[in-house]
Amino acid sequence: MTHAIRTVIEKDLRLAWRNKSGWLSAASFATLAVLTYSFAFDLATGDIRPLLPGVLWTTFLFAGIFAAGQSFQQEHEDGTFDVMLVAPVPVTAIFLGKFTSNLIALLVIEFAQLLLASILFDVGLLTLELLGIVVLGTVGYVSLTTLLSTMGGQVRGRSVLLPVLALPLLVPLLIGAVRATGASLGLEAGSGPWILLLAVFAMWSTLAAVLMFPLAAER
Amino acid sequence: MTALLGRLDALRPTVLPPVVGVAMMAMIVGALVAAPREIIEGEVQRLMYVHVPMAIATYLSFGVTFVASILLLWKRDMKWDALARGSAVIGVMLCGLVLVTGAIWGKPIWGVYWTWDARLTSTLVLFLIYTAYLLARSIAGPLDEMAARYAAIFAIIGIADIPIVQMSVRWWRTLHPEPIIFQPNPALPGEMLAVLAVGFVAVFALAAWLIGMQTDVERASQRIHRLRAEVDQRESA
Repeated sequence: MTHAIRTVIEKDLRLAWRNKSGWLSAASFATLAVLTYSFAFDLATGDIRPLLPGVLWTTFLFAGIFAAGQSFQQEHEDGTFDVMLVAPVPVTAIFLGKFTSNLIALLVIEFAQLLLASILFDVGLLTLELLGIVVLGTVGYVSLTTLLSTMGGQVRGRSVLLPVLALPLLVPLLIGAVRATGASLGLEAGSGPWILLLAVFAMWSTLAAVLMFPLAAER
Repeated sequence: MTALLGRLDALRPTVLPPVVGVAMMAMIVGALVAAPREIIEGEVQRLMYVHVPMAIATYLSFGVTFVASILLLWKRDMKWDALARGSAVIGVMLCGLVLVTGAIWGKPIWGVYWTWDARLTSTLVLFLIYTAYLLARSIAGPLDEMAARYAAIFAIIGIADIPIVQMSVRWWRTLHPEPIIFQPNPALPGEMLAVLAVGFVAVFALAAWLIGMQTDVERASQRIHRLRAEVDQRESA
C-alpha cells in the first residue's frame, strides 16, 4: 500500500518536473491573479491587510482547481489513468498518491505566492501560524478537487464544470481560511475557532474523498 | 414493501392532482382572506404561508435526491438516477422560490432584499450545490452510467457538506428570525397555524406531484435513448 502510494507520487512529481508547462502555468496563473488583484484594488496604497486574506485564498483556490484539472487532463489524454486502475494495488492507494502529489505541488506554488506577496506588499506572511493555516486549508480543498477532477476527466467541458462543482462545496473552507489568515495577520482576535473549522473541513473532505474515490474511478 | 410502493405509485396521477387543486385553493383563500393581518409586519407576512412550506419541501426534495443517489450507487439501477434527477430539479425550483419569496419579504421588513445572514447564505449555497449537481448530470446523456454515478457522488458529498456550511456561516454572521413554529408551544395564533398547515399540505402535495412527473419524464427520456441506440444498432447491422 505505502509502496504503491509512493510510486504514484514519484510518477506524478517526475512528470511534473519533466513537463514543466502544467505546474508553471498554474504558478504563473496564481502570480497573475495576485498582480491583477493589486491593480484592481490598488493594493499599493494604504493598509492592504484587510484585503490580503481574500486575495490570497481566492488565488489559491482557483490555482488549485486549475492544477487538479490539468493533472487529470494529462492522465486522460495519455490513457495512463485507466492503466493505473488495472494495476493490482488498492484504488485508495492511487487516490492517496495523486492527492499527495497534488498537495506537494500546490504547497510549493502557495509558498512562492506567500513569498511574493510578502515582498510586494511588505507584510510578514511567512509565519509559522500562517504556514500551518495554509497547509490545513490546502489539504481540505486538494482532497475534494482531486476527487472531483477524477470524475471531471470523463466529460466534455470539464474545465468549466470543475470550478462550478468545487466552489460551492468549498464555501466553509474559504470562510475559515480567510478568517484564520486575517486573525493571524492581527485583523481580529483569535484564530482558534477558524483553525478548528479548517481542521474539521480537512478531515471531513479527506474522509469523503477517500470513501468515494473507488466509486468514482470505477469503469 | 415494493408492492405497496407500486400501488401507491399507481394512485399518484388520480389522487395528487385533485388534492393539490383543493389544497392550493384553500391555502390561497386562507392566506389572503381567512388569516388575520399581522400587526407589525402587515400584509407581506402572508408570504410565510408559502415560504415556510416551500423551504421544508426543498429539504425533503434534496433528501429524496440523497437517498436515490445512495440507492443508485448501491443497486446500480438507472431508475434511481431518474428519481434523483427529478427530485433535484423540483428541489432547485422550490429553493429558488424560497430565496425569491424571502427577498420580497425582506425588502419591507429588513429594508433590503438580501443580507448575508447565516440562513440566507446557507440556503444560497444549497441552491448552488444542487444547480451544480444538475449541471454535472446533464453533461452526458440519460443512459450514461458513469455520469450518473459521478452526479450521485456529488449529491452525497453535497448533502454531507450542508451541516459544515451551516456551521461556518453561522459563525460568520446571523440575522434570520428565530424558528417559532416547531416548538412545543408554537408562538403563532390558531388561525395562522391552521392556514400554515393547509399550506404545508398544498405545497407538499404539489412537490410530490411534480417530482413524480419529472421522474417520469427522465425515465421516458432514458427509454427513448435506449430505443434510439437499438435502432442505430439494427440499422448498422
